[in-house]
Amino acid sequence: MASLPKRIIKETERLVSDPVPGITAEPHEDNLRYFDVTIEGPQQSPYEDGVFHLELFLPDDYPMEAPKVRFLTKIYHPNIDRLGRICLDVLKTNWSPALQIRTILLSIQALLASPNPNDPLANDVAEDWIKNEEGAIRKAHEWTQLYASKDVK
Amino acid sequence: MTEENLPKKRFFKDELESSQEFKDIEEQKLSFQGNLENAKSFLFTEKPSSQEGVDDSPVMIEETDTSSNSPASCLKKNVEHFRNIVPGVPLERAELLCRMYSKENNVLSKALEHHFERPSSPAACSVNYGDTLPDTESLVTPIPVASLPSPRNHQEENGQRTSKRLKTESHSRRFIGSLQVNAMATRPTVRPIKYATKLKIGLSTGSLTMSKVSHANRSKKASMASYVKIYDAVNEREIGRVPGDIARILFPLLQTNEVEFEATMIFCDNKRLSIGDNFIFQLDCFLSFRIFDTSSPIEGQSKTIHDSSKRRWDSSTQPIVETSEELENGTRIMSLLSLFDKLNIKPIRQSEILENEDKDSRDEIDIIDLDDDKDLVDITSPCSETDNDANEEENIMNMNQLKFFYKATQSIDFLRDLPELEPPKEEFKLNLRRYQKQGLAWMLRREQEFEKLSEYDDFSKVDNSMMINPLWQQFKWPKDMSWESQRSGDRTPKASAEQRFYANLHTGEFSTEKPIMKTMMKGGILSDEMGLGKTISTLALIFSAPIDSEASSKQLFGTEGSDFPPQSQNIPYVSHTTLVVVPMSLLNQWNLEFEKANASKSMRSEIYYGGNVSSLKTLLTKTNNPPTVVLTTYGIVQNEWSKIIKEKDTSSSHTVSSGLFSVEFFRIVIDEGHTIRNRMTRTSKAVLQLAGKRRWVLTGTPIINRLDDLYSLVKFLRLEPWSQISYWKMLVSEPFEKKQYKKAFDVVNAIMVPVSLRRTKQMKDADGKLLVELPPKDIVVERLPFNKTQDHVYKYFLGKAENSVRSGLAQGDLLRKYSTILVHILRLRQICCDIKLLGSRDENDEDLSTSNQLVNEDLKSLTQGAAGEGFSYEFDARKMQIAISNVQKMYDSAELLENIECSICTTEPISLDKALFLECGHGFCEKCIMEYFEFQKEKKLETKCPNCRELVSYNNLVKVELKEGESPKIVPCNCDQKPAKVEALIKHLKVLRDTALGEQVVIFSQFSSYLDVLENELNETFASNEVKIYKFDGRLNLKERATVLEEFGVKSLSKQKILLLSLKAGGVGLNLTCASYAFMMDPWWSPSMEDQAIDRIHRIGQTSNVKVTRFIMENSIEEKMLKIQERKRTIGEAMDADEEERKKRRLQDIQMLFE
Repeated sequence: MASLPKRIIKETERLVSDPVPGITAEPHEDNLRYFDVTIEGPQQSPYEDGVFHLELFLPDDYPMEAPKVRFLTKIYHPNIDRLGRICLDVLKTNWSPALQIRTILLSIQALLASPNPNDPLANDVAEDWIKNEEGAIRKAHEWTQLYASKDVK
Repeated sequence: MTEENLPKKRFFKDELESSQEFKDIEEQKLSFQGNLENAKSFLFTEKPSSQEGVDDSPVMIEETDTSSNSPASCLKKNVEHFRNIVPGVPLERAELLCRMYSKENNVLSKALEHHFERPSSPAACSVNYGDTLPDTESLVTPIPVASLPSPRNHQEENGQRTSKRLKTESHSRRFIGSLQVNAMATRPTVRPIKYATKLKIGLSTGSLTMSKVSHANRSKKASMASYVKIYDAVNEREIGRVPGDIARILFPLLQTNEVEFEATMIFCDNKRLSIGDNFIFQLDCFLSFRIFDTSSPIEGQSKTIHDSSKRRWDSSTQPIVETSEELENGTRIMSLLSLFDKLNIKPIRQSEILENEDKDSRDEIDIIDLDDDKDLVDITSPCSETDNDANEEENIMNMNQLKFFYKATQSIDFLRDLPELEPPKEEFKLNLRRYQKQGLAWMLRREQEFEKLSEYDDFSKVDNSMMINPLWQQFKWPKDMSWESQRSGDRTPKASAEQRFYANLHTGEFSTEKPIMKTMMKGGILSDEMGLGKTISTLALIFSAPIDSEASSKQLFGTEGSDFPPQSQNIPYVSHTTLVVVPMSLLNQWNLEFEKANASKSMRSEIYYGGNVSSLKTLLTKTNNPPTVVLTTYGIVQNEWSKIIKEKDTSSSHTVSSGLFSVEFFRIVIDEGHTIRNRMTRTSKAVLQLAGKRRWVLTGTPIINRLDDLYSLVKFLRLEPWSQISYWKMLVSEPFEKKQYKKAFDVVNAIMVPVSLRRTKQMKDADGKLLVELPPKDIVVERLPFNKTQDHVYKYFLGKAENSVRSGLAQGDLLRKYSTILVHILRLRQICCDIKLLGSRDENDEDLSTSNQLVNEDLKSLTQGAAGEGFSYEFDARKMQIAISNVQKMYDSAELLENIECSICTTEPISLDKALFLECGHGFCEKCIMEYFEFQKEKKLETKCPNCRELVSYNNLVKVELKEGESPKIVPCNCDQKPAKVEALIKHLKVLRDTALGEQVVIFSQFSSYLDVLENELNETFASNEVKIYKFDGRLNLKERATVLEEFGVKSLSKQKILLLSLKAGGVGLNLTCASYAFMMDPWWSPSMEDQAIDRIHRIGQTSNVKVTRFIMENSIEEKMLKIQERKRTIGEAMDADEEERKKRRLQDIQMLFE
């Protein structure tokens, strides 16, 4: 693997020294491009009080190419499928090398705060969300308590 | 035949004149000469119309006399003929002679021969040729049956040879070796031939002249064998014949009598012989002392030469062809050589003579021995048998041969023993290196300035006079092992104590005395390898001997028999001035060197160029203090000479009133002397006409590609006899053409060794140190990928070129398309540098204007096609304007501008010279944004500003231009148009600027239009306060050249000085040791050209390590060129001796380029 670009080192340092509130990201010791990420569920959202684990991988072409991010914690969200894959424009077509790990993670946090069932990834969840938003939100909340409770690891 | 007669007449006369004891002939000389033509033609079997009765002479092919007529009438007739030919001979003598040979079938010629050979001794012959068998012990002249004597034979024997022969009669021959010959019987014998029976070797018929046989011989090699017969010595009955290889040796020699043979039967199986039976006899070979019969070999030689040259000068309008005399002599020499070879007689090596068998030098020579001629023939020419048109063939030398040549000329050990001399300190400021001091001693010796060499005076004189003529070789007499001496037990050598004899195997001359070489010519060839300071050495010579000390005694104008019109008679001799002719680029360098060395007030140099001297003649002859050195160029010499030629046509006056040709110089030096290697060029002709007493050639490469390159130099030096084209042709060109490489090289070495001095950088001085210790040089090949546009364009042109080659190969007329293909290749090479070169006029672009148009159209459509993919040269001016104003808006203060963070690599701040701005105004690192564009293009994604996501175009990038004293300016950036090499060069230069500011840099290219491009690029890239760019190419005039070099040479600690150097203008001679970094922008076909270029920097005076970077485009024609270079280095550049081979190689080259 090519040596680690300066930018990745810089980003990693900054993630540690100046962390984003509610978000942690730590690189694996044996692979500095692989990060363990946690995102706290935003307040006033069905995911409040939950801590979601994600994995983040910086491909070789980063920052020309977007990082690969996936939820490890089960979550009930119209834009996140059962495998934890995330439907987010900045991770796909709207990626720009000006974006960074922290901005991407903030975007994901924002996605938790405002799910967009009109551009779904998990169709069943999205359907549920549109038909019965309250029930869906409740279910999301339940899932958060079930899978993403701060106590549960 | 008439042509043949010319030189013979001369021989005849000369030798007659030089003979003292030939009194009776002397007296009859006048009348004899009156009849000479007839007599001669008679002897040469020509039918003279005036003399009746000669037709049936025994010399003629029909043996009418002896067979049909009665002996008595025959005798009478012969006597009559004899006295007709040689009037004034007493009747008794004529009768005696004719009777003596009456048994022979060519009575008259024998008798005549005898008459001229031994005028006083008819008796001695009767012993040999009488009817009684001569006592074996006293057998002296054993060539009884020799048929018609060859013309050559006659010339010699009629002349002075006679005198000596008489003196040496007592031991007129000496044993040189024995052979056991396996012969075949051609006649049955009645009883077995006894062991130890004497046999005789002879020629079977008198009907053939040697030349006829040698002609016949060309078509049918074995034919000679049928003429060389073995006879029973007693009854002269034919017994058998010798095998072809022996016959080929014996046949020509039997016709002369310089080698004598004795045959003794050894083995015939003790039974009577039938036809076809084999038997073995011993063949003892003796060198007859006749062969040594010239009073002094050298005198004889030079006389011959002189005469022949005179003759040739007289008839110089005629092309010189090989006369049949020369042919016969050639055959004779060949036979002698092969006989020596068979007898295993080897010359004692020169070095052994000089150095008392110095083992080292001997080994060295042995190792460098050329292969057998045969091998070389096999290698170079598969069709050597048939090439009689070898004359047309250009005899180019291969690398090994060159190496051999150089090694031989430099392996002389006397180099080490040369004394070291220095010019007077008060006049010459520079310090010479040790070998340069030795060089000076050598040069002074060559000029015979013995008083300057005072302390070595004896040595040098002795050395000069003891020098054996190198064309001659020394041989040891072998122990006498001949049959009779073995038999008789008489082992004491018959000859006196002389242990050695000498032979010139090139001309076939022999001598018992040591042949002394005396070269009259003053001057020589200093061919030290490039960078050893030939200029300095020459200046040292000039300062040591600035004027002709003998000038006062006016006895100077005896030019040594040159074939130049004796100009010196009517033009003044300027004994104080040395003329130096140099290529234009070196004119100022010479002047500078002169000034550097000059410590004397009275010495000065004058540049004679561009009309700055109004009258050279006045300057040199009328002023009190004429310049010591006049510097001029080949161009001026040629120019003045052409004018003179023109004037000569119009006016009849032959005196030249002004200019270089109006005086005779004390000394002429031609630098880069190989300039005149082709003697047919006007420059060479002009230079050869310059009058001067001492002549020097300076060149690092005396031979560029053919042996004849040397001839011009020899001619310039007026090195007799070699400056005679005929001599040169006979001994050098022709043997070489006939693939007798060793022979040719031996002669060339013999010519060159005494007059040339060559040292190489690898040579060691007396202390075992290298002559020159240069700092190491480091050559790095940097392979670069094409940028997008280049790649695109290259592929397009490559396709075209490949098509052309393929169709050429398919139709088999690739070579006819050679020039088209060369154009293709040139295009590709230009693209490798910069596509801007395409279609530009260039010194390398010859007659390409028509195809240029096509190229330009191609290029246009190509780049338009490329535009769709986001790469275009044309940029939209309006958009660019927007871009610029956006940037200005976004960074409206200098502070903002200086604190841009690149959002891609998160560097902050970006240094402004590395920043690029998108049209939206956002700034990034150049590298980052380029990478981004690349990536997006590869993924076929839109290019949006990473920051604001506005769609942006690659073509609308802008950058900030920083110039000293000005506020930053936003300007368009056309980054992609920087071709890979420029990019890489700039990168390197930046590194150098940051790490080694003040180091001068030389950039080589062969395209002068490329130098222009580079100049622009560098000027754009670098601020004028940090870099100063110089350009040196053929377009500069002399003054500009000097200024450029001078300014470039001055070290500056604050600026990077860059010299853009055109290979053609600056590849040779220049001294650029002030720089230690070089970049070679494009490869050359010839690796030696690149080496030459590098040596501009890596030469004496260089103190730092030299670093050379060669830029090569990856996967391009340039890489293939490297391969071809590699091949040239290994097999030698000009190896192919014949046209076919060269063609083949050229084809291979092309195929290699496009495979």
